[in-house]
Amino acid sequence: MFKRSKLLIALLMTLMLIAAACGSDSDSADSGTDADTETTESEANDEEADDAEAEDETADEPEDEAEEEAAADDEAMEEEEAPIVRADADLVIWADDTRTPVILPLAEEFGEENGITVAVQEVNFGDIRDRLQTAGPAGEGPDVVIGAHDWLGQLVTSGLLAPVDLPNSGDFSPVAIDAMTYEGQLYGVPYAIENIALIRNVDLVPDSPATMEELEQIALDVVAAGDAEIPLAVQNDPGDPFHNFPLFTAAGGYLFGLNDDGSYNADDIGIDSEGGLAAGAQFQAWTESGFLSPSLSYDVMIESFGQGNAPFAITGPWAVSDPDRGFGATGVNYVVEPIPPLAGTTAAPFVGVQGFMVSANAENPLFAQTFITEIMSTQEAQTGLFEAGGRPPAHTAAFDAAAGDPDIEGFGLAGENGQPLPAIPEMGSVWSAWTDAYALILSGESTGEDAFTSASDQIRTLIAEG
Amino acid sequence: MSQHDVDEPVDSVDPGSNSSDVPMRPANRSGALLGLSIGLITKIVLLGTLNATSIWALGRLIPEGVWLGVVFVVVATVAIDVIYLSRARWSIAVKYLLPGTLLLLAFQLYPVMYTAYISSTNLGTGNILDKEAATEQVIATSIGSTESDVSFTSRAATNADGTLGLILTDDRTDPPTILLGTEDGTVEANDIVFDGDRVESADGFTALTLGDLADLESDFAELEVPTDEGIIRLATLNRANLVGYRLQFDPAVDAITDVETGVVYRPVDGFYQADDGTRLNPGWEVSVGFENYRRVFASEAIRGPFLRVFVWNWVFAVGTVVFSFAVGMLLAITLDHPDLRGKRIYRSLLIFPYALPSFLTVLVWQGMMNRRFGIINDLLGADIPWLTDPWMARASVLLVSTWLSFPYFFLVCTGALQSIPKELTEAANVDGANGRQAFRAVTFPLLLVAVAPLLISSFAFNFNNFNVIYFLNRGGPPIAGSQTPAGSTDILVSYTFRLAFESGRGQDLGFATAISILIFVHVALFSAWGFRKTARLEEI
Repeated sequence: MFKRSKLLIALLMTLMLIAAACGSDSDSADSGTDADTETTESEANDEEADDAEAEDETADEPEDEAEEEAAADDEAMEEEEAPIVRADADLVIWADDTRTPVILPLAEEFGEENGITVAVQEVNFGDIRDRLQTAGPAGEGPDVVIGAHDWLGQLVTSGLLAPVDLPNSGDFSPVAIDAMTYEGQLYGVPYAIENIALIRNVDLVPDSPATMEELEQIALDVVAAGDAEIPLAVQNDPGDPFHNFPLFTAAGGYLFGLNDDGSYNADDIGIDSEGGLAAGAQFQAWTESGFLSPSLSYDVMIESFGQGNAPFAITGPWAVSDPDRGFGATGVNYVVEPIPPLAGTTAAPFVGVQGFMVSANAENPLFAQTFITEIMSTQEAQTGLFEAGGRPPAHTAAFDAAAGDPDIEGFGLAGENGQPLPAIPEMGSVWSAWTDAYALILSGESTGEDAFTSASDQIRTLIAEG
Repeated sequence: MSQHDVDEPVDSVDPGSNSSDVPMRPANRSGALLGLSIGLITKIVLLGTLNATSIWALGRLIPEGVWLGVVFVVVATVAIDVIYLSRARWSIAVKYLLPGTLLLLAFQLYPVMYTAYISSTNLGTGNILDKEAATEQVIATSIGSTESDVSFTSRAATNADGTLGLILTDDRTDPPTILLGTEDGTVEANDIVFDGDRVESADGFTALTLGDLADLESDFAELEVPTDEGIIRLATLNRANLVGYRLQFDPAVDAITDVETGVVYRPVDGFYQADDGTRLNPGWEVSVGFENYRRVFASEAIRGPFLRVFVWNWVFAVGTVVFSFAVGMLLAITLDHPDLRGKRIYRSLLIFPYALPSFLTVLVWQGMMNRRFGIINDLLGADIPWLTDPWMARASVLLVSTWLSFPYFFLVCTGALQSIPKELTEAANVDGANGRQAFRAVTFPLLLVAVAPLLISSFAFNFNNFNVIYFLNRGGPPIAGSQTPAGSTDILVSYTFRLAFESGRGQDLGFATAISILIFVHVALFSAWGFRKTARLEEI
């Protein structure tokens, strides 16, 4: 008997080892939907923003809100898995660590006035979208989420959001309302508009360049004179379609053609159009002249410009307002302005809109709709959100009131040329293929034309594969 | 327990009964109170805790309707109680095996089975709901205001019978008409009580405050008041709209009709689809059989970079194991030298890479290896394309993964070396073998006996070492001109991640799990083969 039990143990150990060896792949497959952040529940009065900030691994990477790919980062970085449980309240809101403290007082006020309980649950920004997909249908989801408009494609296609009826939509910037509209329905109350812009070091470059050609010349001269190390601090690690987009459009490219109703047409991909290929060649030329630097990460970008080591940067409000390393904090003498045109063609940054959305599985949809369309859509609330969070308001009157701030005004001007970041789910294919194309151009492995042709082929294949 | 004392003499000669029975016996002999020993008390407390936990878990599982979990908890709890309270001889081996078996079932086999199940579905973006929920959502999102675009100030109200009603203020007339809407339709209200501008009650219906509404809110959200002009429905708690639905579901024929165009959508492959192929979102989760597996093999685009990725995956896994084992073993042998001083310090230092979370160290490596701004090139004054050249990137990945896993083999080899009797090497030396020969003929084979199974499990681990690949370089640099985005250092898991989560129309869980299952089968077969091989080693 002793021998038999030993055999059994050995067999079991073997099984466990095999299983352990293979455990990791089933994990990785599930990681996309498993709810796996720790949530800090900020029930009504006790706010735990401080704890939460320490937990948030992506705190030093604030640009992720505009960037699709960064969401994948957060997701993969989470090591711990704990499904989210809906807070016990009549109205439950999911917000990230930067917005929770901003929303909380307004939400509490709404709760107190109406005699209902309100909870703001803190979830990593990138995780809000992914977790809604599992928590929502399981009945553990929130009533309201604060999200980015480019999530709409995935969330609406999967049936996770409820349409919103916003009577005062005319009070908002049209681009914000357009961005929050998907397949003809409005799915959110916009509250902030964000886009990237040109940031100029006034000490190094006193006058703003009128054209991209001029900008390139000034930047290279400043570096050649030894006054700075990096001509243009724009993120490319290894490639970055989001931050390169204004340069791409200025060089003549477009991403998606437009349908008759103004929505993006995923069948018309412009990366390998005539203009797109010309842009590819332009990127190659910029790489060869040293104007664009390969392997330039967010950290290098913010530190080089913040320390006066770059005459120009292309980045968003998050890099200006970063409390430790932001341009406002380091004391560099900067100004925010639109990105100049190249050969007369406008540089169009992507515009990202953030807003309040209602879960299709909301436990209390009427509270949610009332809160977002009657409370959060007012000028006072939007101004309050701006004052607490510093993001340019989507409400036109609130924006005008905020425009005294030169940074907000500069980003706003740059955004006037912008295009909404496409929300269609096909963007998933664009990010990975286009990132690779930029990486290949910047490392000198491919010519601009080859890289963009190949990226377009990949995108078409991926879209066809579904 | 007292019956047990009868067969005690028999029990005490059983060499296998060294479980909880043993500490109990002296207590019995010394006549502990009521025959309870410390061991027995511990056992009762532990089993009691387990039972309490199970009952608590059942309280959570039953309302959620997780019947598989309920069955598992009940069977496992009963089995543990019976077996640990049993005194039968057969139960002794089971006492050792049971906890491991149950954990294996719950945390290894179940996830694998579930993954296999998901791989036979189309679960992913657009297909995550069930059919009923998807149908509801398709109809709900087709809501639109009627052409006249009418909105009413509204109050939610109930009457004495608990009937739900809406007190609506219709501004289209002057003075405004007060209407009372219920699920039967609207009537003009007569008996109206005002509080300032707000209507407090009408025709026996009293307006509710938001606080009162907390319990009824979802019922009001679904309340639809039919009228000749359209449906009146609450948009918020204070406002109702006159709306219509563009799409209508007919359960009798299981089809959705567009009332404006007359197009009929029927369920096809998890979507409502028109004859021209137009689909309505969202779809729902359906079984697709082996379609996901077929795609892996049949799709030209996916197969394109697959072979390259597969070959590199083997090179990476085997290379990491070989290099880290070699480095770890050499260091272990060096530090095993009896004359060396400060061994403890060296050993502690060497365990460092192992002690830090791997994804953090990988990110640090990534920064150091940056071609232009990294500290390595900075210090060397060189321009080495650590992560941007395909071959250099492969070497860098191997370097980092070796750095991360050599301490493991260092630890294992240190332990194994200490268990090899020194007499054996001495005997070899007496027989005239030099140091190298003694190592090759005696130490190394004995070391291998101990370490070989770990080499296999390390291979299996590194085969799926997503952290190193993804965080160091995201699988890059990209392969120029490949049909789908793939990188020179991508392994199957990271390539799958790209295909399933970073491309297409969002997430494709069905497809991702199908590839996972293929990797699982592959690694399991190789591991099983490897363990059989190593079993032979033990016979040396």
